[in-house]
Amino acid sequence: MPSSRIKSVEELRHYLYLAMQLEHATIPPYLLALYSIRPGTNSDAAHVLRVVVVEEMLHLTLSANILNAVGGKPDLTTPGFVPLYPAALPDGETDFKVDLQPFSKDALETFLHIERPGKAPDEAHRLISRKRESGAMLGVCPGETDLHFYSIGEFYEEIERGLKHLHEKEGAKLFSGAIERQVTPEFYYSGGGELLAVTDIKSALAAAHLIIGQGEGLGGEIYNKEHELAHFYRFEQLKLGKYYQAGDKPGAPTGPPVSVDWDAAYPIKTNARLEDYPSGSELHAAAVAFNQSYADFLAMLTAAYNGKPSLLLEAVPQMFRLRNSINQLIHNPIPGKSGVNAAPTFEFDGVVAKPSFAEEAIA
Amino acid sequence: MIFPSGSTSNTAAQAAAGEIYDAVIVGSGISGAIIANELSRQGKRVLILEAGPGGDRTLSGYEDYLYRFYAAASKDNQAPYPPNANAPMPRSSDAHKITPGQPDSSAYLVQNGPFATDTTYTRVLGGTTMHWEAKVLRMLPEDFEMRTRYGQAENWPVNYRDLDPYYRMAEREIGVSADIDEQKYLGMTYPEGYVFPMRKMPLSYLDRQVDKGIRGTKVELDGTSYELKVRSFPQGRNGIPNPDYDGGNGFVPVGAVSTNQVEEGGRCQGNNNCVPICPVQAKYNAVKTLAKALQTGRVDLLPQSVASKIHIDSASGRVTHIEFKTYRDPKSPDFTTGVARGKIFVLSANAIENPRLMLASELPNTSGLIGRNLMDHAYLLSWALMPQVCGTMRGTNCTGGIVELRGGSFRSKQAAFSVDIHNDGWGWAVGSPYSDLISLVDAQNKFGKSLRRDLVDRITRQLQFAFMVEVLPSQSNRVTVDPSYRDQLGNMRPVISYTIPEYTMRGVAYARQFAQLMFQRLGAADYTAYDPSDYGYVTYEGQGYAIRGGNHLAGTHRMGTAKSNSVVNSELRSWDHENLYLAGGGSMPSIGTSNVTHTIAALCFRSAKSMVAQLS
Repeated sequence: MPSSRIKSVEELRHYLYLAMQLEHATIPPYLLALYSIRPGTNSDAAHVLRVVVVEEMLHLTLSANILNAVGGKPDLTTPGFVPLYPAALPDGETDFKVDLQPFSKDALETFLHIERPGKAPDEAHRLISRKRESGAMLGVCPGETDLHFYSIGEFYEEIERGLKHLHEKEGAKLFSGAIERQVTPEFYYSGGGELLAVTDIKSALAAAHLIIGQGEGLGGEIYNKEHELAHFYRFEQLKLGKYYQAGDKPGAPTGPPVSVDWDAAYPIKTNARLEDYPSGSELHAAAVAFNQSYADFLAMLTAAYNGKPSLLLEAVPQMFRLRNSINQLIHNPIPGKSGVNAAPTFEFDGVVAKPSFAEEAIA
Repeated sequence: MIFPSGSTSNTAAQAAAGEIYDAVIVGSGISGAIIANELSRQGKRVLILEAGPGGDRTLSGYEDYLYRFYAAASKDNQAPYPPNANAPMPRSSDAHKITPGQPDSSAYLVQNGPFATDTTYTRVLGGTTMHWEAKVLRMLPEDFEMRTRYGQAENWPVNYRDLDPYYRMAEREIGVSADIDEQKYLGMTYPEGYVFPMRKMPLSYLDRQVDKGIRGTKVELDGTSYELKVRSFPQGRNGIPNPDYDGGNGFVPVGAVSTNQVEEGGRCQGNNNCVPICPVQAKYNAVKTLAKALQTGRVDLLPQSVASKIHIDSASGRVTHIEFKTYRDPKSPDFTTGVARGKIFVLSANAIENPRLMLASELPNTSGLIGRNLMDHAYLLSWALMPQVCGTMRGTNCTGGIVELRGGSFRSKQAAFSVDIHNDGWGWAVGSPYSDLISLVDAQNKFGKSLRRDLVDRITRQLQFAFMVEVLPSQSNRVTVDPSYRDQLGNMRPVISYTIPEYTMRGVAYARQFAQLMFQRLGAADYTAYDPSDYGYVTYEGQGYAIRGGNHLAGTHRMGTAKSNSVVNSELRSWDHENLYLAGGGSMPSIGTSNVTHTIAALCFRSAKSMVAQLS
């Protein structure tokens, strides 16, 4: 087995924290694209987006389970956990930008980029050394700011190597986390793919495989072992205008037609900021309120991932409320900016979660 | 669940005519779907004739139904489904008061009265499960022995113990969420270690508030004291799978159906428009079973094909073929006539359409019972405002109720009932929340904040009890046909004659007293009022009540022990025609206090076994 860069449990925990950050970072752009679709239109696209975003939430939770299993403490309230968009993701030798933008061909290209299977050409190219551009960067090598992984796949590959390496070194001791901190299926429902508790090397690797398999697929297969279509291919259906079905080869779906109406989306401002909304306006207040609710929500998730998994059941109505708040913003034009609608900004500088949630998070 | 692409267009009527199928099934509702699936899994070739509109089931097609419902002003059971003159459906809004001697023929069901029923069924792919509530109650052991125990109705030729294994098969197929310990009452038993496929749906906050107020209250009936509490209902909607199900193998919920892979509907989200249509297909509908059957590749489906005549060989009584009319366009009366041939034939339309087709085909009727003994639960609504906010309108439609009076010795004199607590408030009774909005805006000139506040105050305290009252078979309650009443394709329409039996009215009168007692215990303000001009208004012992239909149609080709007392045997096979099976509620000799679908499904599993045996 090629050698692992991850040499200590602390490093592994750091990687897993970054994995959670990475999984979460896909959620705002996917959600905005989904909610920007005008109601009653684009059923095919809306369902593809919904499935993917729901599974990203599963990946976030699986990462938290692995982190908990190795004695870590997931914290989604750390400043910077949510990147300021546009965020940068590694794509081989270069980065690509992930914007918060409406459903569009551009957005789809970005999503395909996010989920694209990316294997480094050789061991030497797994890590790319390059001066950082500005903007939040995901998939970096912890502790070394100018070093990033060739792809997200390689980043997870490193986690897998680290898990195996440390398990060889430390044995079952590696999985020192309390079982009560694991989120199990009774508290969580994702759609495709089942949440699993991580208690040993086998379940840890299975969780990592589920994340990769649902995202970009494993070994060039379009379906994972649960017979679920990987995210990349789900998105590709929108581009190619056809659904995949069992037996299809990558790039050549043969199922029923997919129809996409690229224009049936609200024209929301790309990477909107609070300063885009007139101060004192209702939009401004709604955008500020959304950021507060989202911060509260992340605190609630943090509490759930720290020994109170039943909070996830309460998180469901909370998510319906978040959806309603997002819809409020994106259904309204920005005053003075003809033909441009508002959007949530996901800015959290100086936003403090409500004490009730924050206390739960710390407790 | 993948609906095989092209299933509704692959089969041409001419091609079907050239084949002798193992089984020809009329109707793609839960009965037809279960039987088609069971037979095709045993290698049998099956043809399904569906009267409703064609087209493969896709998620976006399902959403067309959903958006049609959202946009409809009337949110009745048929709101999602476009009217179709070639396969018309009764609508609850069709019912009018009937003038004695003057049949009401203004809508699809011709009603002789005297009682005007607002009962409905849905003629689309998946049948009436496309609007059902998905309450999945078993019948009680005593329901099968009404004659022996209470001197009422007739005993069934099968009992609870006989049906138990088939109830379990139906619970798997439908995907039932319930708590086993809570469902052990009034003699219902289960094999050691049995659990339902999924854990129960949690009781709503409203249920819990009602439970707090009434728990421990005792009522006395026929010398027996009944202690009351709120219990959750078994539901045909996806909940949290029970890992102990199937000896520890667990259960995988079946989600939405489409021609492509979708991940939706694996869990109920608590939306509150289960009736008529679940937004995510967490509620079971028969297309889930139909899709499985189609996946075998041995099931052909002809949509927009209305069975119009059953032909028999007069010497042997065997059915030779079924004639059907295929229409291209629901708006046009044009059709072509086709013929379906098979070794066996299954009518699985419903308890009105099955006898309608048999009577229109002038089939022999040895017992004289085809179309007779029509039953449907009589619903009595009672509504009140709770003193405290109860979160009414948080779904699903109905999670809990009071079931203690489903059985007992009082049934020798009066009807039993089951009580639903409606999470959708006064929706059924007066049209809430829309009616609340209209009255606050139009009559009280409310707007803005005060409108919002008053709406919340009014709606979140609404409590509605729906009493599902037993109706016994009565030969004069019946379906007939009359050549002077026909639909657009020329098929004879059903003619209904119906009276609410006195036995039921005694139960109704007691239900009203019972509601008043409960409201008293809860400190709730009773707003119930029955309007004498209501089409369902019935007086009994000087009091008037508005009765609603339950869409739980049954009885019209009842099963029994002999050719003389019934239309089918306990395996649903016609006494008069050895290769004809009559599936659905029509075969039930009585309905007790369970929504009929669960028992219909169980009987179909049992009958499918006999069909396989007959075919081999």
